[in-house]
Amino acid sequence: MTTQTNTSSLRGGQEEKVLSLNPQQAAKGVSNFARSMRRLRKHRMAMVGALLLLFIFLYVLIGSLLIPESVSIYNDPRRALQAPSAEHPFGTDVIGRDILARTIYGGQISLFIGVTAMLVQILVGAAVGLAAGYLGGLADALLMRLAEAMLSIPQLFLALIALRIFSDPTQFPDFNFMGRRFSSTMIVIVFVIGLTSWMRVSRIVRSVVLSVKEQEYVTAARSIGAHSWRIVFRHVLPNCTAPIIVSATLGVAAAILLEAYLGFLGLGVRAPTPTWGNIMGEANSYLDSWFYWFFPAIFIMLTVLGINFLGDGLRDAFDPRSLK
Amino acid sequence: MARYILRRVLQSIPLLFIISFILFNLTNSLGDPLAVYAESRNRPSARDREMITRRLGLDKPILEQYLIWLVGNDWMLVDVLGDGSRMEYGTRRGVLRGDLGLSFVTRQPSWTRIQERLPWTLALMIPAYVITVVLAIAIGVFSAVRQYSFWDNLITGLSFFFYSMPIFFIALVTIYIFAVQFKRWGLEPIKWGGTGDGTLGSQLQHMVLPVFCLVAIQLAGYVRFIRSSMLEVLGQDYIRTARSKGLSEPRVVRLHAFKNASLPLVTLIGLDLPFLLAGAVVTERIFAWPGMGRLFIESFERADVPVMMAILMVLCIAVVVFQLLTDIVYTMLDPRIRYS
Repeated sequence: MTTQTNTSSLRGGQEEKVLSLNPQQAAKGVSNFARSMRRLRKHRMAMVGALLLLFIFLYVLIGSLLIPESVSIYNDPRRALQAPSAEHPFGTDVIGRDILARTIYGGQISLFIGVTAMLVQILVGAAVGLAAGYLGGLADALLMRLAEAMLSIPQLFLALIALRIFSDPTQFPDFNFMGRRFSSTMIVIVFVIGLTSWMRVSRIVRSVVLSVKEQEYVTAARSIGAHSWRIVFRHVLPNCTAPIIVSATLGVAAAILLEAYLGFLGLGVRAPTPTWGNIMGEANSYLDSWFYWFFPAIFIMLTVLGINFLGDGLRDAFDPRSLK
Repeated sequence: MARYILRRVLQSIPLLFIISFILFNLTNSLGDPLAVYAESRNRPSARDREMITRRLGLDKPILEQYLIWLVGNDWMLVDVLGDGSRMEYGTRRGVLRGDLGLSFVTRQPSWTRIQERLPWTLALMIPAYVITVVLAIAIGVFSAVRQYSFWDNLITGLSFFFYSMPIFFIALVTIYIFAVQFKRWGLEPIKWGGTGDGTLGSQLQHMVLPVFCLVAIQLAGYVRFIRSSMLEVLGQDYIRTARSKGLSEPRVVRLHAFKNASLPLVTLIGLDLPFLLAGAVVTERIFAWPGMGRLFIESFERADVPVMMAILMVLCIAVVVFQLLTDIVYTMLDPRIRYS
């Protein structure tokens, strides 16, 4: 690991860089955000993480161009549980499907769930945090008690219960999209994960709102007649971007892991839609066929590792104090 | 201080009501709890089912059911047949009077079900947690005092690696190596799955792999936490003062740095401890360990609402109580904080 080189270069390089801007840039000034992004590019672990994520992304994207979806569905019990070979590099599963193809198509779903669940989490968290901080009083007390209550319940238990309530196959049948057939549990799980993990984001946003609200420039904006929405979007939200970006990044990792745990327990996304998690759930009973569980698990791990590297780098980049 | 504690206690009571109300609504929407009767051997007739429904109060609106769950129905008359011809007193005493209800599946009190499983969960979680914290302190401090050395970088890298690993992965890998491959290599495989044949030795052997996995997963986060809080303290002025007045380095690290760095650790441990009661759902599933996590999954799969509610409430009460205790202990340990 190269923490030493990257942080020392960061510490030394940062100030000089700001001074050595060309005159045009210097005249325009450098935004905090641009400065943070420059710090991020120098953070070696973060760049390793970004490359890892790029690799995973290209794997599920290019993979699906090279191998048609029908390969991931085609089953042939005569070739069940075959060890990796030239024909099936990752082997075959219990009903003879190609595991390579299933990790590609399952990966698309896992990543989709991770990213969209994060969006739900951020939207709900930001909305609740803004409302609580801005309205104050009773609304604040109620919303924060709700957040506290939900934080006291283990998320896996909460998600399991919510998932069962909203995944009745008669109410939410399978659907077709772009010529592929998906289980609607895939959409339900996005909302279940998002709606059980917004609490921390809402607390962060609320605390930023509370401190920004007292700033003089907000009073100034209000005194020249800016209405609440303008203050929220021009003054409050921009102050939340850094913590939101960090928790959004880590939120994707948490969502992918939670999906994997639910899938592993056999209670997550249902067939016919594969995910890394529910492939693991099927493979659990076939311990001897190591390739069955090893490959989906390694993809989950690499994705989460990449996100954690990137998230850690983002946190350092946005918070220069953490480098001192 | 006493007033602060009193205020916190009073604040946590409405919180528990909010939690229980949310959970009650959710668990009661899981589907027909009487479905378990339909698949049992002596299946009740439609008329009996209706009687059971009325006795349990399941025909009432959800708010009234919640009140019955809280205060019981032994003080009110239940119209068992639905036409007013047979009135009986209910049998439930309510959670507030210590009655967590009977399991729909086994007809045992929910509390008995929890009492059967809790020791197994604790037998797994306590050793794992103690080992985790002790090792994490040792490794975290070791790593922090050698910041950016080879060992520190190695430890940081490894902790990222394990931090990102889903527990089922490490569990399957260890089982594959120590049980499956060991047999192939002619070594004595470590036994796993279940709790053994009842002797202590066999139980301990069955604990080895799950405890190892739990430690491996939890350790990474704790090491990172301790390393960063140690680094923060080591950068403080009073550490420089301690060094400059000639104290030996071990003394500086142990007395001046670690003592201060362990304050946030107290909070972390206090907030994590109650979640040990929940057991480890996935680990218990893989190793067929009869703990709380599996009890929850079993009751979940059969929509056994009283047992689920009992587990969740025991857990949430523990979480709230430990939060309170952590705050109080923290105030006592850190003289800079004064509450009035």
